[in-house]
Amino acid sequence: MSSETSAPVRRGRAASVRRWVRRRGWTAGVWLLLLALIGWYTTLIPEFGEFEITSIAKNSLPSVYLALAQGVVVISGGVDLGAGGLMVLSNSTAAALMEGQPPEVTVLIALAVVAGAALLNGFVGWVIAVSRIPDIVVTLATLFIFTGVALMVLPSPGGGTSGQLRYAFTGSTTGIGTNFGPSLIAIAVPTLLFAAWLTRTRTGLSIYAIGSDDHAAYLSGVRVVRAKVTAYATGGGFAGLAGVALTAIANSGDPRFDNAVNGTLNSLAAVVLGGILLGGGVGSVVGAAGAGIIFFTLSPILTAMGIDPNTAQVVRGGVIVAVMVVAGLLQLRRWRTQ
Amino acid sequence: MVIRRSFQVGTGAMVLALVLAGCGGGDDSGDGDGAETFTIAVSNTLVGNQWREQMVCAINAQARVSGVVDDVVLANRDTDASGQISDLEGLISQGVDAIIVNPADRTALDDVIAAADEQGILVISVDQAVTAEAAYNVTNDQVAYAELGARWLFEQLGGSGDVLYMRGFDGHPADADRDEGFQQALADYPDITIANEVFTGWDPSTGAQQALDILSTTQVDGIWTSGIDYTVVEQFEAAGHPYVPIVGADNNGFIQQLIELEGEGLVGAIVTNPPPVGGVATAIATDLLTGAAEHPQDTLLTPEVFNNVDDLPALENLYLPELAQGESATIEIAPWTTYTQQDVLDCKGPGE
Repeated sequence: MSSETSAPVRRGRAASVRRWVRRRGWTAGVWLLLLALIGWYTTLIPEFGEFEITSIAKNSLPSVYLALAQGVVVISGGVDLGAGGLMVLSNSTAAALMEGQPPEVTVLIALAVVAGAALLNGFVGWVIAVSRIPDIVVTLATLFIFTGVALMVLPSPGGGTSGQLRYAFTGSTTGIGTNFGPSLIAIAVPTLLFAAWLTRTRTGLSIYAIGSDDHAAYLSGVRVVRAKVTAYATGGGFAGLAGVALTAIANSGDPRFDNAVNGTLNSLAAVVLGGILLGGGVGSVVGAAGAGIIFFTLSPILTAMGIDPNTAQVVRGGVIVAVMVVAGLLQLRRWRTQ
Repeated sequence: MVIRRSFQVGTGAMVLALVLAGCGGGDDSGDGDGAETFTIAVSNTLVGNQWREQMVCAINAQARVSGVVDDVVLANRDTDASGQISDLEGLISQGVDAIIVNPADRTALDDVIAAADEQGILVISVDQAVTAEAAYNVTNDQVAYAELGARWLFEQLGGSGDVLYMRGFDGHPADADRDEGFQQALADYPDITIANEVFTGWDPSTGAQQALDILSTTQVDGIWTSGIDYTVVEQFEAAGHPYVPIVGADNNGFIQQLIELEGEGLVGAIVTNPPPVGGVATAIATDLLTGAAEHPQDTLLTPEVFNNVDDLPALENLYLPELAQGESATIEIAPWTTYTQQDVLDCKGPGE
């Protein structure tokens, strides 16, 4: 900053704004970009109303949850290639067990599936932390294992769930409608609670700490293995929730490997666009959640624009590269000014 | 200064991303120019499959020659039932007049199709039927498809032998229907056993690999394929396995093999499963939209079987040298389609 006559108060305020921008700027930018995209989408279609809001909100739920799942693991300094597989396994298990069951039972199954996914992935995290086998290897294996087990649970697409569970995620017992409240709540509440837990509790901060520098964290008294296991377990829980949401949206399960791979890759893309540093320790899951919605929203927008569907993938990749370039530029600027 | 600059960079980032996301797009004003023109949308969930590509081309071609369609919107990506639901919702939001859907699931689309119907959007399911009441179904009879081919194969084997059963896409409604037909035929031939059952996912290279693996290690007497055929035939030589009777679809490459390798002992039959079913659906859609003609809710196209033992001239008649191997040789379907073969090969929609 140039000198002149800036009073201490003003300087303090400027510093705090600067800090806010540094900390939250990227997250805010992601959500603004999402708003801009949706605003643009409204100009592409004849009418934008409750039906469209509901559609975007509910259909992006799996992407959002998977972005949260991947986000926490990446923040802890790892990567979870198995996240998509766990989503598919949860989706298949939930759909297979819930078919024909009364509403209360389906809710219990949903909770059990989420808890089971958390336990399973917590175990994966423990294996990684204790064995020191690179996470990319272990979770690549779990991607195959989870999808394989999903095929055993549900050999081909099918199953179902209760209308009430569908209502909880989609705002309608038929899974389609104009009631966007439940879907928006299903996006906002888990995301904000999770973000608050990560940034305001001792356990959450320990996940950031081991992602930033696990040796330093260890020397400061952080229990590294425990933090790692917690990161994978909570991530697994969200992958499980993504699977349950898929079941609610489609009223069926789908065990195919393609869905798992797409899930994992999209979650990684969301984490990158969401501003979480791939090295760990930096970023917000709120940004990743917004990025998850952005990647979902691109698809109806591109269709509405009449773009060749094969180009859509190129655009997706282009956005990721552009984001990385911009992130690099920002970082460079920060170094220069400090 | 610093703050302003980082805001500038941030804004630049956003503009850049928006420009990237928007590349190639123009403002699409949709319909509204002519008095009676319509927009037809296509929802497909299997990309890179030649049968599906040809289905889309037949839709484009028929839409073009109909003269009443001003735009064909494609929602085309690899996804599952939940992804197709969101695609269909996007198409409803766009306010298209008709949606031709190749369903990923027989029942999962019921509610979204009902929602489309409420908006006055005509929905036609092609390739296989959906359970939604409002939907029109234009389908090849998949049960008969499998049964006819399987019966020919089992007869050819003299009623006994080990058959390699190469299915399609696990969980896909058409695959389920074909399995039903196959099992019906199998029930009448107690001495036929299934040597191996695999899912090709209707992917030519997957099917080829599976055939190579199995033919290299196992003796089979006959092969039934769910339309992944010409790449399987190519594996006999590689696997050092003698030719055995094989059933496939009306793929151009397979027909060519049946004609050219007939002298070397390849025996096989094609069962027609024409992708121009998309063109039939388009013709029905335009009829219904303009009120030109009524159509029944369900249109079922019956498959035909041609083999290279009795019907070689018929196969030679079907074969089209200018088509790719994986493309179906059946292009026009009377009395519905009015395009020419060239229209489908061009694959151009209205205004392209």
